[in-house]
Amino acid sequence: MSNLFKFLIRISSFMSKELTEILRQPRLILTLVFGPFLIMFLFGLGYPEQNRTLRTTFVVEDPASLDGNMQLFTDSVSPAIADQDVEENRELALARLALNETDLVIVVPPDPFETVRNNQQAVFVVYHNEVDPFQIAYVNSVARIYVDDVNRRLLETATVEGQANAGEAQTSLESAIAKTQALKQTVPLGDTSTAAQVDDLEKDLTTVNEQLTTFRSLGASVLVNPFNVDTAPLGGIQFTPTEFFAPAVIVLLLQHLSITFASLSIVRERRSGIMELFKVAPITAIETLIGKFLSYLLFEILLAGVITFLAVWLLKVPMFGQWYHYVLAVVALLFTSLGVGFLISLISETDTQAVQYSMLLLLASIFFSGFFLDLRLMWEPMKILAWSLPATYGIRMLQDIMLRGASAPPMLLQGILLIGAGLFLVNWLLLRRRMEVQ
Amino acid sequence: MNSTRNQNVSGDVVDAHELTKTFGEEIAVNSLTMKVPRGTIFGFIGPSGCGKTTTVRLLTGIHRPTSGELSVLGKSPVDFSKTDREKIGYLIQNFVLYPELTVWENLNFAASFYGVGLFTRHNHLNKLLDFVELKEDKGKLASALSGGMKRRLSLAATMVHNPELLFLDEPTAGIDPLLRRKFWEYFKELQNQGHTLFVTTQYVGEAAYCDLVGVMYDGRLLMVETPEGLRHKAYGGDIVGIKATEWIRYENRKKLEDLPFVRGKVKVVNDQQIEIIVDEANTAIPALVEASKAARVNIETIEQISPPFDDVFVKLIEKEDANVQPV
Repeated sequence: MSNLFKFLIRISSFMSKELTEILRQPRLILTLVFGPFLIMFLFGLGYPEQNRTLRTTFVVEDPASLDGNMQLFTDSVSPAIADQDVEENRELALARLALNETDLVIVVPPDPFETVRNNQQAVFVVYHNEVDPFQIAYVNSVARIYVDDVNRRLLETATVEGQANAGEAQTSLESAIAKTQALKQTVPLGDTSTAAQVDDLEKDLTTVNEQLTTFRSLGASVLVNPFNVDTAPLGGIQFTPTEFFAPAVIVLLLQHLSITFASLSIVRERRSGIMELFKVAPITAIETLIGKFLSYLLFEILLAGVITFLAVWLLKVPMFGQWYHYVLAVVALLFTSLGVGFLISLISETDTQAVQYSMLLLLASIFFSGFFLDLRLMWEPMKILAWSLPATYGIRMLQDIMLRGASAPPMLLQGILLIGAGLFLVNWLLLRRRMEVQ
Repeated sequence: MNSTRNQNVSGDVVDAHELTKTFGEEIAVNSLTMKVPRGTIFGFIGPSGCGKTTTVRLLTGIHRPTSGELSVLGKSPVDFSKTDREKIGYLIQNFVLYPELTVWENLNFAASFYGVGLFTRHNHLNKLLDFVELKEDKGKLASALSGGMKRRLSLAATMVHNPELLFLDEPTAGIDPLLRRKFWEYFKELQNQGHTLFVTTQYVGEAAYCDLVGVMYDGRLLMVETPEGLRHKAYGGDIVGIKATEWIRYENRKKLEDLPFVRGKVKVVNDQQIEIIVDEANTAIPALVEASKAARVNIETIEQISPPFDDVFVKLIEKEDANVQPV
C-alpha cells in the first residue's frame, strides 16, 4: 500500500471518529442547529423596531407664572415621552423617580417668559435614574428633542401672533397707500419734487405691504424651522436591529462552536491517555491535526449551512451578496476559529481550563470584534487585539456580503487566512512536541 | 484468526544493555539488561511502581533512555520509522478508547490510524472480534461494556494491524481470575501464531504462563529466568516433599541432610512429613528413595513440590533486600 494511501487512511480515522462522536449526540446537534436560530428569532422578537418610551413627570412649581401656557411645557409631541403627568412638588416627583414609578422628571423653570424677556435662557432640569451609559445618552437625546420642541412651539406661537399683528398693520398700510395715492392727486403739476417724494413714499409703503403679505402667507412652522434633514442609506435599505445583528450573531456562534469543539478535542485525548497510543502508532502529528481539522471543518460547514438557511429563509435575514463569497468567508472563519480551538486544546491541562479559555474568547469577541460597538470608536492600539480575533474579520465580511451585497474585502480574507495558517503551523509544532519522545 | 506470522525468524526482538531512565533525581529504571527472544511470552513481574511501565515506555519509544543501549526489532525505539511502528502493538494499562463509539467503531478507528487497508479490513476486524469473543457485542457502545470486555476490546485494537511484537502493560489488572486465565489463553494463541509478547503483570502467579520471566523490583531487574528457574533461585534448588508411613526420626533426617545433592537443612512439616531442597529434583528423587530405604524410612509419597509464585516472589525479594542491607 502506498504511503499516500496510508496517509489518507490515517487522516480518515479522525474524520470518521470525530463525526461519529458528534452525530451520536442528537440532542447536541439539535441544540447546535436550533439554538442559534432560536436565539436570533428571540432577539428579533425581543427588540422590535421601537424606541423606548419614558414615563415622564413634569414639575411645575408655580403654575401661575406660565400665564396659562401650561400645555406648551407639559404636552410633548415626542413619542419617547409618554404617560405624562404634572406635579407641583419636585421632591415628590424625585421620590417617584427613585421608586421607579416614573422614568423622567422634567422641572419647568420658574417664570420662564419673564426670564426670556429679561434676555436670559430659561433652563429645564431633567432628572433620570439610569446607570447604563447608552440609556443616559438616550435620555439626553430625548431631553434635547423635548427642549427643541418647546422652543419650536413657543416660536410658532409667537410667529402666529406676529402674523395676526401683521394683518392689522397691513390694513393700516393699505389705508396709508390709499391716502398717499389721494395725496398724489393734490400735488400741483409743476411741483415735481413733491410729486417724486410722494411716489417714493407710495413705493415704500407698497414694498412693506408686499413683504407683510409674504410673511403672512408662510406657515408658522416653516418660518420657525425653514430647514430640515433627511438621511438616506446608499443601498436604499434601512435595516432593522435584527437584520443588522444577524450576520454578527452567525459569526459569533460559528466561532464559538468551532473553538469549543476543537478546544476539547485534544485535551480530552491527552487526559484519557490515548495520546500515548498515538506516540507508539505510526501516526504523525500532521496526520492527526489534518484529520481533526477536516472532520470539524466538515461538520461546522454543514452546521453553518443549516443555520444560514434558517436565518435567511425563515427569519428573512437579507442576503444581497453572492453565495460563493459567503461560503468563502465562512470557511475562512471556521478554519481560523478551529485553529484557535486547537491551540487552546494544546495549551490546556484540563477540560475545565479549555472551556474557560473558550468562554474568555467569546467574551473578548463580544466586546472587541465590533459586535456591539463600532470598531472605529476603539482606541487605535486596542485594535490590534480586535484584529487578532477571527470574529472581527468574520463580522466585517458577512456584513459586507449580506447587507451591502459586496464581496469579502480581499484584505480581510487574506488576513483571517494568514492567522489561520499561522495557527495551524503553531498547533502542528505543539502537537509534534506532545507526541515526540520524552 | 489465521494471521499466523513467520515463525522461522529467530533472534532477540529486544536487547537492552545497562538501560537507565531517570526523572530528575528519581531513578525509574536502573541499569536494566535483558534479551527477549523472538516468539516467546516474556513476563515482566514486579510490584506496583517498580518501573515496569517505564520500561515498556522505553521499549516502545515513548521515553528516551537516560543511558544504556536498547534495540527493539533491531533498531533503537527513539529512531523508529512508521514501518517499524507498524510492527509493534501496545496495550496501555487503562482503557483509553472512546466510550461514545461502539466496539466496531473503536476497532475501525484503531485500524485506520495504523493504516490498515480498507478492502480487507472488514473481514480482518470480524476475525479479531471473534478471537476476543466480542463479535456479538460489536454494536455496543464502549461505555456500556464491562471491565473485562473493555480489556478484550483493547487487546483487539492492539492486534488490529497484526503486529510482530506486542507490549501488553498489565492486561489482566483488575479483572477476575477466570477472565485472567482466558486472557492467558489468548496470549498463548497469539504466541502460537508467531507473535512475541512482552507482558507486564503484578500477579506473580501469572509467571507460570510465561516462557521467560523478568523480575523487577525498585527499578532494578533482579533476574530473567524460566518460571521453574525462578523457583530454583528463590529456594536455592528444587523442593522435594517426603511423606513417610511413620515418624521420621532426627538421625534419619540428618542422614538425608548429609546427602551431597541436598542443600541446607531439612524442613519438618510434621512428624511424618519433611521437605528437602535439592539441586535437581529429577535426579534427586531416586537417590532420596534409596537413601530413605537405607535409613529404614518407609516412604508413602515422594514428589517435587512447586510452591506458588507469590511465595517464590516474596522469597526472591527477601533475598534481594538481605543482599542490599547496609553492613
